[in-house]
Order: sequence, then structure tokens, then C-alpha cells
Amino acid sequence: MDTSNPAAFVNGGLLGMHVGRKVRAVIQVIRSDVGSVLGKSTDDRQIVVKGSPPAPLTTYVEVIGVAENDNSIRAEIWTNFGDTFGIAFYSF
Amino acid sequence: MFSSSQFDGTSAFSGGGFMPSQPSQLANSTPSPAKNCETQGLLSVTVKQISEASQSGDEKSNFIIDGVDVNNITVVGMLFNKNIRSSDIRFHLDDGTGRVECIRWVTEHFDTSQLEALEDATYVRVNGHLQSFQGQKRLSAFSVRPVTNFDEVTCHFIECIHSYLQNSKVQSQSGSLSQSQPADSSLSTPVRGASNGYQPSLMNDLSMQYSADGLKSFDKLVLNYLQQPSNIDREMGVHVDELSQQLKAPKEKIKDAIEFLEREGLVYSSIDDYHYKAVEGC
Repeated sequence: MDTSNPAAFVNGGLLGMHVGRKVRAVIQVIRSDVGSVLGKSTDDRQIVVKGSPPAPLTTYVEVIGVAENDNSIRAEIWTNFGDTFGIAFYSF
Repeated sequence: MFSSSQFDGTSAFSGGGFMPSQPSQLANSTPSPAKNCETQGLLSVTVKQISEASQSGDEKSNFIIDGVDVNNITVVGMLFNKNIRSSDIRFHLDDGTGRVECIRWVTEHFDTSQLEALEDATYVRVNGHLQSFQGQKRLSAFSVRPVTNFDEVTCHFIECIHSYLQNSKVQSQSGSLSQSQPADSSLSTPVRGASNGYQPSLMNDLSMQYSADGLKSFDKLVLNYLQQPSNIDREMGVHVDELSQQLKAPKEKIKDAIEFLEREGLVYSSIDDYHYKAVEGC
């Protein structure tokens, strides 16, 4: 039982409050480059996710990693959430 | 039962909400205090709630989460550190609020071949029983399935929030209610806000009509009047007309109340069918 490293759910607006801490977010992929992915958060803000995404990448992807600043995450875990995902419901 | 449900959205919605309806239907025949007697069918919880669960005092050695006896729980999270052994498979489940150790006992190899094939950082739904082992909480899983539609993750967290709010509300209202009604709002769409609006009004209606000892408020008025010392002292008792005048209620209503109180053994007719007295020592 270990609750010492929780990952907070964030959107673009909340990311700035958790800089340096473990966060998780679902983003809609806009553009995918080598080493980073540009995505749109649940509150329609642009977020850059650094790391090595899985290939192929689906439309929606959840990233768990450390927040670097208020619009970028260094991802450790990527999970493809598919192309149909109720992102509107995810904003709790 | 649960393991046969599919992973599409409708089952994800009904998975957490369906089970609680069965205990409450059984409980309908024997009314009892809400939180003690009614163990939920399958409670959606987060690992943090598990870590905060306290042990109940009885011999069943169940845990208590949010004031409710926990029987079986369902958790959705990522699988890590899988350890395959001959008699069991152990792994950690991380749902973002914490990690809990899980154990899946192996009887037949084909039961767990799917579990063995899962990789680290795969989302799974684990249904199991919370137990204490060597001082640590552990989830004894009877069902571990990979999540295929990720709306199930969202739905699970919303169900956790919903059960938490529901159980907290039942805790605070346990004095005035004879039964909780978890099933109704769980069966309606948990995602929409409508279910939250549905339940509070149901509870309010019940608490308005019934006080803790089951007497309707009007019956209590009649009883209180008859129990006044001045009326107790009257040998002939109180005429129903007088009751009607004093309580400013129609005679029919008085008659119904008197009939009810008589059946309960709280009042009796004295010199004739229109005069009543309260039973002393009640």
C-alpha cells in the first residue's frame, strides 16, 4: 500500500499549479514530432508532451509524467486512449 | 456474474451500479438501519480510499470505507510489477492515487493466461475482496481484465465520487432513514448530473413523513394530546370531537390516527367508541 506518489489529474489551466510534480492528463493529439507531441488539453489549451510516444499514436492519449512548466509535461508513461473517447466527460 | 459483462460503454455504466440494487431489494422485506445491515454489492473505490479504510470490529473482519461495510470492491488502474508464481500471480495496481498489492490465486492455468500476457502500465479493472495480510491491506482478486474502452476509466472515477457522496450522505442521515436507496440513482446515468438531483429529494420525502420510531407526525400529535397529564387523569377519556377541535383536523383524519394508535397498543377506548385514553407507561 503506497500512496506516496499520486499523479494529479490536470488540464492546461491546472498544469501550472503542479510544476515539478507527477501529473496525468488526456490530450487530443494535434501534431506528433520526434521526441515530442503537441496536443490539446481538456480545456482547449495547447500542451507539449516530451518523450517517446508509442507508435502508432491514436487521437487521444493519456500521459503520466512530471510537469515541467505550465504548458509542458515530460512523459514517462503513454497510454493510447483510442480515437473515440469521451473527453468531455473526463473533465472532472 | 460480473466477469461476463462486456467492455462497451453501457456495461461500464452498469457494472458498478447494478450490484447494489440487489442487496437493497432484499433489504426491503426487513427494514433496518441503513449502514449496518446493508453491505454493498460491488463498491467502486480508489486506492487512496482503500488505504484509509478502517477495520470493522466484528468477526467478519471486513473493512469499512466511508462508513459502509465493504464486501467486494472494484478498482481500475495500471498494472505493475507482475510476479508470476506457481500458485498465484501478484502485481501492484496503480490508479494515480496510490498503489495496492493484488493477488490472483491460480487454480487452472487457462484462467490466468490472459493476465500473464499483460504488460506493465496496462489499464486493468480488478474486482476482488479487500483483506489484511501481515498488517498490510491486500486485494484478493477474482477478476482481472484489461480495459479496452477508456471511457471505463472516466466512468470508474465518477462512480467512486458518486459512491463516496452517497455513503457520506447516508452516514449523516442514518438517524432519520430506515433504508438507503443506492440502487435508483446508480442505475440512471451516473455521468450526468441528474442523478445527484434525484436522490436528495427522495431522502427528504422519507424523512419528512417518518420520525425515527415510525409514527407519522400527525399520529404523534394525537398521541401527545392524549398523553397530556390532564387528559390522562380524565376517567372518561377524550371524545374524538374534542380531538378534532383541539387539533383543528377533520374527524376522518382523527379516526384514522386513533385506529392506527389503537392497533399499536398506544391508546384504548374508554366508556364508548368515541372516547379514548392513552395507555400509561408508554
